Amino acid sequence: MRKVYITGVGFITSIGNDAARVSESLREMRHGMVLYPPFQKADVPVKVAAPIRDFQTDTTEAEDWVFPARYSLRRELLRGMAPHGVYAYCAMQQAVEDAKLTDADCSNPDTGLYAASGGSPFLLGYYLEKMRRHGVMRCQPLGVVASISGTVNFNLVSHFKIKGASTGFSSACASSAHALGFACDEIMLGRQQRMFVVGAEDGNTESILPFAGMRALSVQTDPSIASRPFDLARDGFVGTGGATVLVLESEAEVERRGAKIYCEVAGWGQASDGHNVAISHPEGTGLRVAITNALKATDLPPEAVDYVNAHATSTPIGDLSEIRALKTIFGNSPTRPAVSSTKALTGHGLSLAGAMEAGFCALAMREGFMPGSAHITRLDPACTGLNIIRATLPHRPGIVLSNSSGFGGANVAVIFRNAL
Amino acid sequence: MAQAANSPSGFQLKPFTPEEDANLREALKRCSAATYESAAQFRKTGNTEHLPAIVLGVIERYVEPDLRAKLKDADDDLRIIEDLGIDSLTMMEIVILVEDVLQMTINNEELRHLRTVGDVKTFLDCKVRGLPLPQPTKFLPIEQIASIMPIQAPFLFLGEASVNAHGANAKYKISGQEFFLQGHFKGNPVLPASIMLEALGQLAVLFLLEGQVGEAGKSVDPKMIFFTSCEGVRCHRVCRPGDVLSLSIKPKRLKLPLATFEGQIRVGQEKAAIAEEITLTFAYAEEIVPPVVAVAPTVAVSAPAEQQAVVNA
Repeated sequence: MRKVYITGVGFITSIGNDAARVSESLREMRHGMVLYPPFQKADVPVKVAAPIRDFQTDTTEAEDWVFPARYSLRRELLRGMAPHGVYAYCAMQQAVEDAKLTDADCSNPDTGLYAASGGSPFLLGYYLEKMRRHGVMRCQPLGVVASISGTVNFNLVSHFKIKGASTGFSSACASSAHALGFACDEIMLGRQQRMFVVGAEDGNTESILPFAGMRALSVQTDPSIASRPFDLARDGFVGTGGATVLVLESEAEVERRGAKIYCEVAGWGQASDGHNVAISHPEGTGLRVAITNALKATDLPPEAVDYVNAHATSTPIGDLSEIRALKTIFGNSPTRPAVSSTKALTGHGLSLAGAMEAGFCALAMREGFMPGSAHITRLDPACTGLNIIRATLPHRPGIVLSNSSGFGGANVAVIFRNAL
Repeated sequence: MAQAANSPSGFQLKPFTPEEDANLREALKRCSAATYESAAQFRKTGNTEHLPAIVLGVIERYVEPDLRAKLKDADDDLRIIEDLGIDSLTMMEIVILVEDVLQMTINNEELRHLRTVGDVKTFLDCKVRGLPLPQPTKFLPIEQIASIMPIQAPFLFLGEASVNAHGANAKYKISGQEFFLQGHFKGNPVLPASIMLEALGQLAVLFLLEGQVGEAGKSVDPKMIFFTSCEGVRCHRVCRPGDVLSLSIKPKRLKLPLATFEGQIRVGQEKAAIAEEITLTFAYAEEIVPPVVAVAPTVAVSAPAEQQAVVNA
């Protein structure tokens, strides 16, 4: 198997719109939640969200959108994009610059792109309403590519002239972790030399509020404690959006280009609960098997893991099931790994989560820290036996595990190895 | 025909309510104020004189800012795709906005042939008035030109050509093999000015034969077209072997037995020659005969140039 490295990252997130700012927020445990203006209505029980700053994408016409001056998007490109398409484009630009890739590096048969997003319920709803009201022939010609799931890969692959493998992944909150895993395989198997991994979500009313009906969202009104994974009083997740792009490269490419390395993607594993369409298995069996598979794939014992970036979204049931999976894997380890959920800071980015948190792990490994698990006042007693770190540790982890779980009981575990 | 033109049947004014006005303003919010004004006037009065301003205003809104200057002093020959960088998807957006503003429906088949700003204007004008739609621009490869024209090699100076209701365009590449270049001039081949004028005259002949001239059922007799006069002919550039001449003519007056055209020749962006007036005499064929070219109209209308060439081969 060929070795795979992360050589570039790009972020548009609720805790920062570039790697430097994100890293600072992670270290200082600065969260991105606010009382989200569109939620401040009597009939909306949820008040807090973690929006993207410095972008305005709240109208249905892309030409009205505002984004930081360093990015320029022509109308021709914008008209086929959802809000998260713009986030992904900006993150992609950062990642390309960060990895110092030339146009030729991006556009060749050995370079591919895997992406994940839930599409844009916001635009989809608007376009369908327009169709119902004004007739099918008045649909926006690019309404479909702007709004359906896949919009991110459509746009980025065509715009960045990607010639290698490309597709989208759709396993809800595990989607971009799946994208990362399969992208890693493409390189390990020698099919591709370089892969872009993209996770993105609109993170607006239409993509977040439908989860209220499931009672999955926190109804906290204090933004500073709304997302508190592993806390006894956690009451649901806080929605967010944005985009993260990772550049994965083979060892040969890293050598050829003299690329800067964040860390090695050592391997991954996945497994399914086979249990419930929306509720994770109470014992976390799928996640446990996914982690076991990842350890097997990387030939590592559980005690080799130094840090776990948990999936924990701050829902009562979901966190508990992950806690149980982690205890089963690491419970008897004399050197227990540090565990934290960065969703306490970012909120839950759904399809974006896996790639975003892999990006956080890459930053932590390059810069030498482990971000703390924020907002815990009373640790859930179920966590006894786990080393949940409540402050950032200034050490570089050697081996990092990042978990993701999605609807239908899909679970993905990715393992990173320090390469510095 | 004349009667039909005088009693437009397709366009009926709907009351232009304040709500409609608000929708119109919203729809045209990214267009110039003049576009909205023209559209509002059109919706109130049905006066088709407002159409060109509306169409240009809508197209301008979709043209990238750096190309908008082209539209400012555009003539009707400005090509939507080639000159304005508008792709077929943007064309759809333009159509949807035009449909919205003019309250009409345009189907895909009708759209396919609209290549120039002039095509769009004429199309909408006919559509709004309920007139039969004009024949779209025809693109004629050399083989087809040769089969239509009374003039033949080695004295035919048209390569590929396009003809629509408003005029005709053609290209001619000076090969260097033209027989007269041996003596014009000695050791210094230059296309004679008289040949430039001849080429424009030939394009005018092609227009008379292919450009839907005359009344229904009558066709221009290819044996009865002759040169009568020209005025204001000026040459601006010496043309030599290797140059590709872009010829264009437009009818100024068409009244049996005279047809007067204006013409110009460019090489790339450089003006090579202009003729303010070229006048030909013509006559209709005695009997109603099917056109000499045996191309079924549906093929000529809908097939792209390459397919036509195959059909004709």
